[in-house]
Amino acid sequence: MKKITLLLLALITILQAYSYDDVLLKAQASIFPKIMLLDKKIEEKLIDGEIIYTIVYDQQDHDTAKEIKKFIDENNNGFFDKYAYKINLVKSSELSSLTQTSAIYALITSQNSKKIANIAKEKGIISFSYDINDLKNGFLFSLMLEKSAVLYLNKANLYTNKVDFVVSLLQMVKFVD
Amino acid sequence: MKYKISSISLLVLMSLSNLSAKTDDLLSSLSSDMEHFSEVATITKQNEHYQPYIISVFQGKELEKLGVSNLKEALGLVPGVDMATDNANTQTPIFRGSNPLAYGQSKLFIDGILVNNVFFDAYSEYLSLPIEMIKRVEVVRGPGSKVDGVNAYAGSVNVITYAENFKGFESSDKLVFKYGSYDYRMGGFIKTYKTDDFKIFIDFYYQEDDKKLPAGPDGLSQGVFGTSNIALSKSGDAPLWLEEYSLGLNLTYKDFSLKARMLEHTKGSAYGINLALPQESDRVKLPSQYLELGYNKKINNYNIDIKAGVKYDTFDSKSKLTPDDLNLSGIIFQDGIYGEHFAKQRTLYQSTYIKYSGIDQHVITTGYRFIKEETIDMSSKLSNRSTGDVALVDYTDTLPFFDKDAKRNTFIFSLQDEYQFNDKISFIYGFNYEQTSHKDAGIEPRVSMVYQLDTNNIFKAIYSQSRRNASWQEMFTMNNTARIGNENLEPERVNAFEAAYVKKLSRDTHLQTNIFYLLNKNQIYNSSADPEYRNVVDTDIYGFEIEYKGHISFVDQLYLNYSYTSGKSNINDENKKESLPNIANHLIKGYYIYNLSSVLSLSGIAKYVGSKDRVSGDAREKVKAYSTLDSTLQYKNKKCNYNLTLSIKNIFNTKVTFPSPPNTYSQDYEQERRNFLIAFTKEF
Repeated sequence: MKKITLLLLALITILQAYSYDDVLLKAQASIFPKIMLLDKKIEEKLIDGEIIYTIVYDQQDHDTAKEIKKFIDENNNGFFDKYAYKINLVKSSELSSLTQTSAIYALITSQNSKKIANIAKEKGIISFSYDINDLKNGFLFSLMLEKSAVLYLNKANLYTNKVDFVVSLLQMVKFVD
Repeated sequence: MKYKISSISLLVLMSLSNLSAKTDDLLSSLSSDMEHFSEVATITKQNEHYQPYIISVFQGKELEKLGVSNLKEALGLVPGVDMATDNANTQTPIFRGSNPLAYGQSKLFIDGILVNNVFFDAYSEYLSLPIEMIKRVEVVRGPGSKVDGVNAYAGSVNVITYAENFKGFESSDKLVFKYGSYDYRMGGFIKTYKTDDFKIFIDFYYQEDDKKLPAGPDGLSQGVFGTSNIALSKSGDAPLWLEEYSLGLNLTYKDFSLKARMLEHTKGSAYGINLALPQESDRVKLPSQYLELGYNKKINNYNIDIKAGVKYDTFDSKSKLTPDDLNLSGIIFQDGIYGEHFAKQRTLYQSTYIKYSGIDQHVITTGYRFIKEETIDMSSKLSNRSTGDVALVDYTDTLPFFDKDAKRNTFIFSLQDEYQFNDKISFIYGFNYEQTSHKDAGIEPRVSMVYQLDTNNIFKAIYSQSRRNASWQEMFTMNNTARIGNENLEPERVNAFEAAYVKKLSRDTHLQTNIFYLLNKNQIYNSSADPEYRNVVDTDIYGFEIEYKGHISFVDQLYLNYSYTSGKSNINDENKKESLPNIANHLIKGYYIYNLSSVLSLSGIAKYVGSKDRVSGDAREKVKAYSTLDSTLQYKNKKCNYNLTLSIKNIFNTKVTFPSPPNTYSQDYEQERRNFLIAFTKEF
């Protein structure tokens, strides 16, 4: 009994890794592209007339990234509103400031979260994270399924010259300092 | 020129108004998505931590990966839940040590329909429900919600089948075959057909085994048929075999729904309904059938939910009740006593609930549930009690085992307000008013608060009062030396105080702790010394539960829980106190899944159940503590979309026993030793 208790306590202290919540993934896949369209400067972010939505992932999450792409494609028929789009899947280690993208959505990226947020900031594009804790690393938006769905926005990263959201969106979000 | 300027202004205005309309459309679509996913998260309990309950949720697919075979094994993982059985092998989960001799302290819902049988108020016939038929198991400890008109008392188990279907979350069709120890065989399928407005879902399974487990000496050794028959006592294999099939059907058309299930459950007579070891072919049937029609419509701020249903459950026993040469008051039953006992119950119910969300920050739900329960058929046949002749005599009218006119009407009115005080604090408060044709229960309140300090720290506090109405067995059993019904029983009542803290360590890792204090009044007991059911015990139960779910690495999953339960029983008619009998103070459970690759996983389930005190006056040693370990290997073929699972359960061949009451079987009821299971599932 004592041994089992000690083992239990020891295991609890060895923490942290991730499995994805299917409902949250699909909620984010549905909602984030719509947020992107509420940026009044979306046209400035088009690449060859298209929106490029980049899903950034760590190696072990390649299947998850593919599932999200499939879900978005099945629900949008190649267009976000009037804009044609393309989804690129990019490993977190391979993302750089040379990567052409209109917005970034990052899964759990163990080492590269800050780097991804910085690249988005540098490019003046919107960054979305699966994990709300990544807002601390500089991402702009995340979504949580709390009692209801809650959109979180990192206030510190909002005010740039390159992103200008419609006011109604800002009334819907919860700000994180 | 003037005309040109006007045209340009008009074009700009049109363009602006077009932009504004587009933005409005986008915002409206965004809000609609947020609402949809909030609803999905609430219904599927993805946001369980924010709900005003102490709840544990297990996903069917994860349980399959762990080699869990059925609902009973799944419930074995829940914090604070232990399993008990009786001489008819009516197995029942015991929540937090609350009256292990009663059955109806927890309720089982299948896709929202209450399936506890009326006879025992138990649901043992559904515990063998194969895990492959289950999408999700949600277990609420404590009395739970007040808005469905059901008193859950100690806990409730919500089984969600693959009939549940949301846009974007459709389930695959499935084919299942299983084979295991005790010659266990199972086959089944689930199938969904869907168009825009119409959906039909069917699940079917058949399963059987020839399980026998060592038992005895039987109750005759303790003098259940008098000292003159002690020598006739036997030990041997108790017939615990199973044969059952079930067909479930869910139909939805626009706002209308139909849910139906037919379960034919037949099992061996276990340890004998009269505590004499039965013959191998002796059996008990516990069929259960239900059909519910529903209408659910949202009109502006109102949501109307109307349901009407019928449920049948039956107790049907056919067995040899005593050994040969039994001597009862000088009459010798040379070939023993045979008996056939049959009681069929019908439950009719209708409920209407209206949810109103037109007041800012409030969601008010009110409605009623009316229930009419009655015995519609009963027969009682025994070998001739006057002559000792083995041939069956119909005693239905002269010496019934049960009151054939048993009936009860219940009306429950509920009112609840869900009040979002601010971003961080929400309250739910409300009450049930319940009146039965036997007892008037009055008002039972429930108040809960959820405080979300931040995204990672959530606190809950809950006070609730609930009741358990006596079961048919406790009220209407007649002419039986072991059990005598009592129509004047008061409901068992509980005042439950609970508090919980949830720490989200990361997006998918959490630690939940909770404490509870349960004041139970009027607990219903009987004993071999005084077989009439009476409200004789009050129990104060307290304890805590800790639950952790997370990972050690990227490729594994870890779940652990520990629960501590203690308290005192006050036996009112003897004016004495004792520690809670038949309760394990310590329960530790957990599982670990290691994904060896994307197609292969190895997992283990470990369980520790502490020792249990005996009831006052029972001189036997404590029920011994035990630990078990199960291990499972699962192979997933992604190309052909099938899974192959091999499980070895109770690897160390530990002796697991559930307590037998005093003066029944002298030894406790032994459970399965080491056994294996192979499962094949294919999705389409």
